[in-house]
Amino acid sequence: MTQLEQITIPSRHVPDLCVRCATCMAVCPVSRVTPLFPGPKQAGPGAQRFRLASQDSVDDWIELCTACRLCDTACPAGVPISELNLMAKAKYLGERGQRVRDWLLVRSDRFGELFSRFSVIVNPLMKWRAVRWLLDKLLGIDRRRDLPAFESPTFRQWFRNRPVATDISGRRKIAYFYGCFTNTNEVDVGKAAVACLEAYGFSVTLPPQRCCGLPRLGLGDLRGAREMGRRNLSLLLPTVREGTDIVFSSTSCGLMFRHEYGPLLDLSGAEELATHLFDICGFLLRLHEEETTAVRFKGLVAKAAYFTPCHLRSLNSGLPALELLRLVPGLDIRTIEAECCGLGGLYGFKTEKYAIAEEIGKDLAQEVSRIKPEVILTDCEGCRMQIRQLTGIKVLHPLQLLRDVLPSA
Amino acid sequence: MKRWDLIVIGTGLAGLTAARTAVEMGAKVLVIGRGMGSLALFGNSIDVLGAIPPGADMETGVADWIAAHPDHPYARMGWPGISEALGAFRELFSPPYTFAPAGKGNSLIPTGAGTMRPTYLLPVTMTAGAGASAADTLIIGLRGFKDFQGDTVSLHLQCRGVNLSLPRYGLEGLSALALARLMDEAPFREGLGEAIRSQMAGERRIGLPAVLGLKAPADVLGTLETITRAKVFEIPMLPPSIPGTRVFHRFREFLIEKGATFLLGNPAISADLKGGLCEGITLQNPPLLTPYRAERYILATGRFLGGGLQADTEKISEPLFRLPVSQPESRGQWFRERFFQPEAHPVHRAGIVTDQELRPIDTRGRIILKNVRVAGSILAHHSMIEEHSHEGIAIATGYLAARRALAS
Repeated sequence: MTQLEQITIPSRHVPDLCVRCATCMAVCPVSRVTPLFPGPKQAGPGAQRFRLASQDSVDDWIELCTACRLCDTACPAGVPISELNLMAKAKYLGERGQRVRDWLLVRSDRFGELFSRFSVIVNPLMKWRAVRWLLDKLLGIDRRRDLPAFESPTFRQWFRNRPVATDISGRRKIAYFYGCFTNTNEVDVGKAAVACLEAYGFSVTLPPQRCCGLPRLGLGDLRGAREMGRRNLSLLLPTVREGTDIVFSSTSCGLMFRHEYGPLLDLSGAEELATHLFDICGFLLRLHEEETTAVRFKGLVAKAAYFTPCHLRSLNSGLPALELLRLVPGLDIRTIEAECCGLGGLYGFKTEKYAIAEEIGKDLAQEVSRIKPEVILTDCEGCRMQIRQLTGIKVLHPLQLLRDVLPSA
Repeated sequence: MKRWDLIVIGTGLAGLTAARTAVEMGAKVLVIGRGMGSLALFGNSIDVLGAIPPGADMETGVADWIAAHPDHPYARMGWPGISEALGAFRELFSPPYTFAPAGKGNSLIPTGAGTMRPTYLLPVTMTAGAGASAADTLIIGLRGFKDFQGDTVSLHLQCRGVNLSLPRYGLEGLSALALARLMDEAPFREGLGEAIRSQMAGERRIGLPAVLGLKAPADVLGTLETITRAKVFEIPMLPPSIPGTRVFHRFREFLIEKGATFLLGNPAISADLKGGLCEGITLQNPPLLTPYRAERYILATGRFLGGGLQADTEKISEPLFRLPVSQPESRGQWFRERFFQPEAHPVHRAGIVTDQELRPIDTRGRIILKNVRVAGSILAHHSMIEEHSHEGIAIATGYLAARRALAS
């Protein structure tokens, strides 16, 4: 287990922080829908007491944890439950070796740019039933899952080639971490982010960047995650050191940067990056709270629903997107009272887990059918994919709606 | 930096009540919880003062109790204040899922341990438990559901009990939350209702584990009562508590809808104290330490389980504001000789001493922090376990703390 040796393994006493109160069992989305996963109390601190580095893993169900981290937010004793699960998952997968599918999926950042270039061919191909059948049978990528289309040009290419605004001299600089999915699959999210930041008076830069590494971490590939972290830190720290803050529009990338690079992966420079890294909606909301912006949204009469991504809960800085949306005159904005969309990143793409992901998502879909919104807003690309597939309703990043009500729009 | 009108630390019933009271008064409120709070643990019905005999008038009982216990948290507001706060709590729940007393005082309801517990406000799903008797009650257990042993309850109640399995749904190993979710689906509860009816032998009340739905408990109750033509009730059981989770969700939904900010999962680890005032608190979400500032603060962090009080080998302390904790003189006096006995262990009466407005005071009665108020079980001079007063203290002091804080 060479990859585990590089990581600080939680102390053997950590599980003893758990008082077995079972509060986590009130929030776990997986044990909410299936008895196959015993839930965070047993999977985390419960089983941890029986796990020895020298012995093989016995807990096959550990793979069923989606790493939503809701258990961490509920625990009154500060037990790092999801981290215990993650380390156990890493050991389990390490013993079994990585599946071809998983090797491919975590490299979607690499393939993404390639697929984007050939999107004219790739997108129709991905819709072929024969292709989906093959992906399902050979790789275990469930054929029922809607695969996201690739876009060309990429966000980065669009940014590089767009006409530069003339009045940007003297504006405060802000760097934008857009993430792989924005770059190749949801370019409009990036465009909206740039439009919003510029409307608030910033000059936007795109520092060089790589995949945050969360997909690798989710598959227990700690070494790979660490490598991505190290690369990103060397790419992003120069920006921070020249005095420019960085904003992100994907909550999961943000969570990875802010709370996994340091505390879990123990990468040097992680804390420095974390203190200069902000959720883009929280960043913009603060300008309103401090009354340092003159931006006043135009009215928009529509019925919208906001969904809170699990990783936004873990970022634990409130619901800034919802608060921004409430500043739009005329917008009827409801909240979707459901916990976890069920996708779990790559989790919901896998044949052996698709049914669980779908079952978790049903609760959300039911809430949506009760609210009947015209549009659904949520900060996470995973949630957006899942909610689109579950409801068929238009799902946007909150910035995409806000861009349309900017004073200049 | 943003300044809030009020920061509430703690997401148990006391903290949530304080936050909700403040939000209704128009305040900008930040709620900070280290975890989900105690509601998901043992929030079921609302105890106010179970120490007085069942059926005795609650108003008189509380007044007498206060006269005999002048230091008790209830002495801060008396019955009128308690009653007002309970009224506000009840208003948060619109029909059909509501809370009400069964009569003028306490009623006894069965618990998962088979005991009868005195309590005051019951959710509609527990009302029928308050009349359960050996003659007319059937207790339903669910095979493979480990958190509730129907036999234990029926044995103690000396009534009939049946363990049902619903093979189609594979109940084996299901969590309470999973069962509650299934109950929310009409076909499941209809199937369960039919299965119960086939086991009935003239009983007029049916007791089930407290998993009758998370979203639509009144619908679940309605379906089961229609099919069985009997009164159906939930029996509180081991954590996690589904009825408590309903209460938590209702508060959270209300608070977020009204614009409060809700931070869950990280502890407030330090407070910035200057000249008898709290100027800010710091939240720890590693590697970040984030300061938050407000005009006023309410400390509702609970007792030992939630980290509101900490005990080492010598002393009990309050870790956030470093408030003095009223406690026995030495550790040797924390516990009585036997674990189970009628009187409270002295350690359970330890806590924070306040003035009439719930501001923390020192041994000479001087206010320690002028803009901090203390609410809930962390307060001194009650023994909520023996008194059966946990929720009543939380609601009454949470309500009063917010009212007084915002009036200042």
